[in-house]
Amino acid sequence: MSPQPQDSQLLASVLQRVEEGERVTVLDVGPALPETVSFFSSTPCCLHIVDLFSALPLAHDEEGVSYAEQFQDLLRLSPTTRFDICLFWDLFNYLPLPAANALMQVLKPHLHAGTRAHAFGVHKRGAPEDSRIHGIHSINTLTLRPRRQPLSGYAPMPQAQLQTVLADFRFERSVLLADSRLEILLRMRHGKTDLTL
Amino acid sequence: MIGPSIHIKGTVSGGEDLLIQGKVEGTIDLGDHEVAVGQSGKVTADIKAKIVKIEGEVSGDVTGSEKVVIAKSGKVRGNIVAPRVTLEDGAIFKGSIDMDPGDTRTTTQAPASKGEKPAAAAALASNQSPGLDLKHG
Repeated sequence: MSPQPQDSQLLASVLQRVEEGERVTVLDVGPALPETVSFFSSTPCCLHIVDLFSALPLAHDEEGVSYAEQFQDLLRLSPTTRFDICLFWDLFNYLPLPAANALMQVLKPHLHAGTRAHAFGVHKRGAPEDSRIHGIHSINTLTLRPRRQPLSGYAPMPQAQLQTVLADFRFERSVLLADSRLEILLRMRHGKTDLTL
Repeated sequence: MIGPSIHIKGTVSGGEDLLIQGKVEGTIDLGDHEVAVGQSGKVTADIKAKIVKIEGEVSGDVTGSEKVVIAKSGKVRGNIVAPRVTLEDGAIFKGSIDMDPGDTRTTTQAPASKGEKPAAAAALASNQSPGLDLKHG
């Protein structure tokens, strides 16, 4: 099925440095999509594609391997990697709180002041699941594709909890979408904040 | 061509294009030529060539001085370095893509602005979700 477009008011801010022709390092936690690769192709960038959704549901911490270890194994990041852009999509709607905290703990050394990120949250916890795969069509248009298999573990966090998990980021702007979904623009803070696991 | 029943372990290099339908383990370096990994091809090796087209399976780093194409039947696990990369619908990729158009940018049909790609845009109808803008801070 061909991807469906969805206008985004925030994507342009996330991708501003790409538009300006700067070399950027990008983390995309979704599956590799033709349109996203096409968007970044012929631009100076390093695109890390690690489909964390395919690893859901993660094994519980008690099963021997911690969430942090699981993320380290999935991401396999070089110590020198620093992301300018993180495309989280709606991953945080599927992670239990300890796992979300662990992901941020693993990513923190790879972020820098000014790192921008894009994510989807919910305005109300009862917001229905929108199980579609996100990609980038253009500087202000996302694409949506249906998932071949449904994801388990949909449990969106309240906004306050999400802000705690993402405490190293400043919530620059949010846009309320249909079905109480939130599109969120994040920017890494200059100061350091400790995460509680 | 490396046929479907051929299994090579070691270094493959040469001065002509190569189609791989068999198995290769090691390294492949064809400089300014093209490497195609056919649908039955299974490569566990780093590949260097001018153009790399992948319809089969590759586990390793792929460098294309001009471009890398992963076809819909292609599966790639590794890192890609190329000025242009095309991923066809259905292709599976895990790794990083390092794209630096450099001087090649003047010879490619790079869009004037990343703001819009007219051909694709025309195919996509607008589908914006109605929303309320919430500003923080």
